[in-house]
Amino acid sequence: MKKKIFAFVFSTIFIFGTVVGCGNNNGTNSSGKQGEDAEVTSENKETENDNNNENSEIILGFYWWGNQVRNDVTKRALDLYMEQNEGVVIKPEFSDWGGYWDKLAAMTAGGNMPDIVQQDYSFLNQYNDSGQLADLKPFMDDGTIDISKVPESIIESGKIDDKIIALSNGSNAPSFAYDKAVVEEAGVTIPLQMTMNEFYEISEIIYEKTGKLTFFDTGINALQLYTRGCGSHMFEEFAEGDYSSSTKFYSLAKRFSDSPSAIPPEILTEKDPGVIETKPIIDGTTWNDFSFSNQYISISEATGRDIGITMIPIDDDATTQPMFLKPSQFFSIAETSDHKEEAAKVLDYITNSIECNKILKAERGIPINTEVAEALKAEVDPTFAVVFDYINEVGKVATPIDDPDPNGKGEIEQLINRVGEDLRYGEVTADEAAKNVVDQSKSILESSN
Amino acid sequence: MKKQNKLRHYLGKQEIAGYVFILPFIIGFLAFMAIPMFLSFVFSFTDYDILSKPAFIGINNFKNMFFNDPKFWKVFKVTLKYVIFSVPLKLLMALLVALLLVRNTKLSGFYRAVYYLPSIIGSSVAVAILWRRMFASDGVINSILQSIGIPSNIPWLGRESTAIWTLIILTVWQFGSSMLIFLSGIKQIPVTLYESAKVDGAIGIQRFFKITLPMLTPTIFFNLINQLINGFMAFTQSYIITQGKPRDSTLFYTVYMYQNSFTYNKMGYGSAMAWFMILILSVLTFILFKTQKYWVYYEAEN
Repeated sequence: MKKKIFAFVFSTIFIFGTVVGCGNNNGTNSSGKQGEDAEVTSENKETENDNNNENSEIILGFYWWGNQVRNDVTKRALDLYMEQNEGVVIKPEFSDWGGYWDKLAAMTAGGNMPDIVQQDYSFLNQYNDSGQLADLKPFMDDGTIDISKVPESIIESGKIDDKIIALSNGSNAPSFAYDKAVVEEAGVTIPLQMTMNEFYEISEIIYEKTGKLTFFDTGINALQLYTRGCGSHMFEEFAEGDYSSSTKFYSLAKRFSDSPSAIPPEILTEKDPGVIETKPIIDGTTWNDFSFSNQYISISEATGRDIGITMIPIDDDATTQPMFLKPSQFFSIAETSDHKEEAAKVLDYITNSIECNKILKAERGIPINTEVAEALKAEVDPTFAVVFDYINEVGKVATPIDDPDPNGKGEIEQLINRVGEDLRYGEVTADEAAKNVVDQSKSILESSN
Repeated sequence: MKKQNKLRHYLGKQEIAGYVFILPFIIGFLAFMAIPMFLSFVFSFTDYDILSKPAFIGINNFKNMFFNDPKFWKVFKVTLKYVIFSVPLKLLMALLVALLLVRNTKLSGFYRAVYYLPSIIGSSVAVAILWRRMFASDGVINSILQSIGIPSNIPWLGRESTAIWTLIILTVWQFGSSMLIFLSGIKQIPVTLYESAKVDGAIGIQRFFKITLPMLTPTIFFNLINQLINGFMAFTQSYIITQGKPRDSTLFYTVYMYQNSFTYNKMGYGSAMAWFMILILSVLTFILFKTQKYWVYYEAEN
């Protein structure tokens, strides 16, 4: 009996399957034919289009690094440009900071650099040395890119030898973000710039009152800032094999990581502070974070909480104000691009269009066109005003930025991250950490320059 | 018209037609295997930063690799550890599941498909990110442990002692393709052997060790070599789940090679690393082939 039922069910399924299968076969056959016909016509159309394309349609590649907020707003701004300029198609591509440089190097090596690429102060030298970036000066001279409302010093920041190879895209400064609710709950106030001792004491109070942990950055930016505070420059110290600033920095880092308020290294590994969306402040593990001021907008959006922003803490014995203003990033045009002038028009749009910058929300930094910046401050959401005021405050005390980073920066950055881990996991002492970083950076610099 | 006929005649020749049919493979092989391999061999003797022209520096890359780069040996050891544990565990798992699924039941086809699934999706980025969440300190693994009464909030990926094991488990979980090969291997074992063993009164375990296992050795050998090569080439797990953290304890050879080539722009050094890996794999495969005669049983020989 059982067998019979099984056989029945099975044969029904089988027959059903065959019928459906046949139906499908017929379907694909006929649609296959239709498809072929359709293909022929579409091919004809395509060739027609191709002929038209040569006259009218221009395709521009546009590649940037960023985060979810930036990806969304940039795509929207580019859509608007395409609406306003028929015949121009912009193909957006994006990745995170780490993947960006890997991919850009590979694309460049293959001669496929996108027409417009986002550039960073630390990579400009490298790309300029190999002649990969187009000179923007002719386009600025003939007015394709209008720079009449942009301060001269900002244009200068993208200038290497007599060429302007990059157009800054906004001003930026290192910043310290904190969770306002936590700070209030603990009953402390965060001054415009804490000293490291104050930062340490505040961390302890916050941990006692709220249980929130503290993140002390040991990345390359933190070390660079600290060295500036000592009146010196990080890459210069590395090149000379000078341990003085690094030793002080790592003993400070050790003090912070030994404190019970410190985020344990295992948890920090899990929540990668290198990516905005996973920063430990986002899910409230820590009350603070180190970043750049333009990232404040993304951090605020990702946390959904009220976030404060202030200057990076300064060492109690600092001789110089370490804070600086930096072009948050640049746009460059590929030397290999077939449509440099069209690409330049896009840069003009991004620099000077108020409409465009309202969409972009100044997420890349305060717009360089002063009129655009004023217009934005007047009406865009309050997070932007916070950053705007912050940049103003920093501008009052800032000292000049370090020279563009030398070749080998990528490897040194990785090295510093690794040594920071070693220190947190208690595998090296502060002195050893400083020695490792300086010695190895020195040899990296020697072999790559 | 005449031209077309000539072409048709030419292509119609048997030896030519053969070449035309394998042309897609030949083009693919040249473009994606032979030429890149040749180029990387050349690059391995140069200082090449991708953006400017390579400069010949002899065997300096290899010298630096062996004597000046402690991280090179560190990642080599990490990868070796990963391979030594993941490959046997994976094969064992594949064999066990294959033995369970070899019986023809109503659902065996379904189960085979289900157990094969991880092999297809397992090395994808999505699963890598899922894995990272699962083993987070507030992830599902800890929740399960807690719900069965083990108080646990271990940051599996944050500890040097456990991080590599999460990657090994992910690999072992992808036992599907080895399992399928084992399945077909088991099915090829003549039934007569089992029947005569039964007549002689051999019990299940004896039959497994005296018949199944020896008859399967060629399949085990094939799987072993396959998985060994796959193991050394593992990339996604390390690159996406752990990024080598903590303290490079999960930094795989291929990831370090990639970092050198594309992040540090030391393509020459990366190429040298690639060729060292080829050498190591060749030697290991050669040794395994040599040991064949001691443990692999081929029916045809007897």
